[in-house]
Amino acid sequence: MRRRDLLVGAGSLAALGGGAAVAFDVVGSTDESTIGAVDLDVISAPESEADTVTVPEPGRVTFLELFATWCNVCESMMPELAAAHDSTDGDVQFLSVTNEPLGNTVTREDVAAWWHENGGTWTVAADRDLEVTQALDASGVPYSFVLDARNRVVWRHRGRTDADEIAAEIRAAGG
Amino acid sequence: MTASQHIYDRRTVLKAAGTAALGASMAGCLGGSSGAAGERTVLDPPENYERRKDIDLPFPDYGEMLPEATVPAPLHDREVTTTEFVGDRHAMLTFVYTSCTTVCGTLVESLRRVQADSIAEGYADEFAFMPTTFDPETDTEAIIDEYCDRMGVDREVENWYFLRPETPERAREIVDETFGVAYEGGGGHYEHAAVILLVNKDGVVERAYNGGPPKTGAGVDDARTLVEGW
Repeated sequence: MRRRDLLVGAGSLAALGGGAAVAFDVVGSTDESTIGAVDLDVISAPESEADTVTVPEPGRVTFLELFATWCNVCESMMPELAAAHDSTDGDVQFLSVTNEPLGNTVTREDVAAWWHENGGTWTVAADRDLEVTQALDASGVPYSFVLDARNRVVWRHRGRTDADEIAAEIRAAGG
Repeated sequence: MTASQHIYDRRTVLKAAGTAALGASMAGCLGGSSGAAGERTVLDPPENYERRKDIDLPFPDYGEMLPEATVPAPLHDREVTTTEFVGDRHAMLTFVYTSCTTVCGTLVESLRRVQADSIAEGYADEFAFMPTTFDPETDTEAIIDEYCDRMGVDREVENWYFLRPETPERAREIVDETFGVAYEGGGGHYEHAAVILLVNKDGVVERAYNGGPPKTGAGVDDARTLVEGW
């Protein structure tokens, strides 16, 4: 029954928003909804010289979008992400993460160029070993996630979404 | 081919896409399938193998033989036969249209991930990749060329063959009737089964990923297991 409550809560996250986070609390914290933090290579970050970024950052709400430079939908999402980023304050870890294979054909420089061409002004990192991607059990791009300050996934959405929905989910998570 | 063969009801497409429905079988459409008995495989059967056998999937599943079709590879100025690498290379195939904005990029990227891993880990000459379009009217040679660049395909290692049936009729024969990958639509939008085949050097299917985009990285793990276990 509890398991079922949890699944119901997870399944209606998009509709419930903050209510779903409460649903998780009702059934108790579960390991399977908590993502372990890993260090990813930073491709570009506006106010940091660090080579790596810890994702998801414990203690803060995290928004992250998995993307790839070949993905036209990801490209079309960039203005939405920019607007969502503008509407959040500094207490949210906001970042985009590519999980495409980087190397001889598509390089990190290619990603950085794509990033700037498409107006990216927040942190972009590379999930080279698919650690974050697989921890989030993700398939496909774009794939958006909000994690609360305890690194629990409280919202996930594959495909197109918009600035208002992202901002609302970040707020619902306490960010 | 009669007109009726072009018409696929929604149930058929959904059945192939999700494998959830039981009942009517399209197994008779399979070209070279000879069943699972006795074929050599490296990977263990998929978790839901018994149920998959009951469903009788329209495309070749674990332990079944790679169907044979000869299809132009426009970027190579020659025809490629899907079985021509048997005895020489493992293979991965998938079926897409390049103007697709949903699952197709993920399917092709799954092959591209294995290609990248094959280069990094030194097994590029043990694999052949054969993505195939079922929309040859849109997917001209120039479009395919540009698409492969966008997807980051490595052309130098000569293991990536993008296949293009000459006509929509040939696409129907090859993708749907020979490989059992159902699709319907046109004019730049299709509903279609999302299928990736991982095939070993004996031409036996080691894994048929279906029902949606495979988990990111799943193909690489299986490809490595296949190469190491062969």
